[in-house]
Amino acid sequence: MEKSHQDEFTRLRSSQASLEYLLIVALTFAIIVPTAYLFYNYSKELGHEAIDAQMTQIGRSIIDTAEVIFYSGQSSKTVLDLNIPDNVGSAVIIDGRELAFNITTSFGTSEIVFFSSVNITTLSSNCDANICKIPELASSGFKKVKIETSKNSISIEVI
Amino acid sequence: MRKSQAALEYLSTYAWALVVIAITVGALYTFDVFDFGKYLPQKCIFPSQFKCLDFSLKPSEIKAKLVNNLGEDVCVAFVAVTNDASSPLACDFTPEGEGSCAPGEFEWIHGAEKEFAFTNCVNGGYLADSRAEAKISFSYYSLKTPSKPFHLVNGKINGKVTSG
Repeated sequence: MEKSHQDEFTRLRSSQASLEYLLIVALTFAIIVPTAYLFYNYSKELGHEAIDAQMTQIGRSIIDTAEVIFYSGQSSKTVLDLNIPDNVGSAVIIDGRELAFNITTSFGTSEIVFFSSVNITTLSSNCDANICKIPELASSGFKKVKIETSKNSISIEVI
Repeated sequence: MRKSQAALEYLSTYAWALVVIAITVGALYTFDVFDFGKYLPQKCIFPSQFKCLDFSLKPSEIKAKLVNNLGEDVCVAFVAVTNDASSPLACDFTPEGEGSCAPGEFEWIHGAEKEFAFTNCVNGGYLADSRAEAKISFSYYSLKTPSKPFHLVNGKINGKVTSG
């Protein structure tokens, strides 16, 4: 009879401990899950802004350098070290004056376009009619971009 | 007898606690405390070339003020608004200021601010006093580029629809 009473007491204590443990775990989850959700959303938006800023800086740097090289005269060239972010779908030169990057975000694809006052081009093998692709600028990572004079235009190619 | 008494005492001790917790959670749920989306800041996100300066979400009307940071005069066409709802958001848009662009388009001079006003918005869970998302997209082309290729821009507004 005494043994049965002790067993009952032990069982009650362990079930109380289990319930308290569950309550603490539930409370912890109730705090962690919404906090993680809020931070995830916030960081996702910051990620878009970071990629946009990085691509704006890259595009501006390519176009500004192309214009400087053009006005520096024949045989001028320079090499830019660029770090291309993820989410860049394509990089093309249109009509020798637009450098367009396709950027993918969670709310769709946008084009970031830079307009050049000098005629820009790339390897002729990558050109079809008025559109020249620069596939190497559409993949992430560090790239060396050579910008040099070429006849009446500025050639932009990844080396 | 002792066993059932212990079980009853155990239940009566924790049942009160569970009932109190359930009522508290129910009250918090009623006041939308668990709608975590509302704790996110209201945002208007566009590429920096078309920076979003201001926006407003009102019942059946969406406005976004953007600035042309391209450094180039452009013509804007195909302006649309939608969202991810099963019955997506749809609004009317009337272009103004055709300038040198084709009919149905409008000219946007570099450095100028432009207000995109969408009216008669329906569907997409776009209701007064609720949190709503609107994806705005438009295409543009440069007036100086010979082949006039269209470029797509996507942006997003996330905020509360205010009836005031």
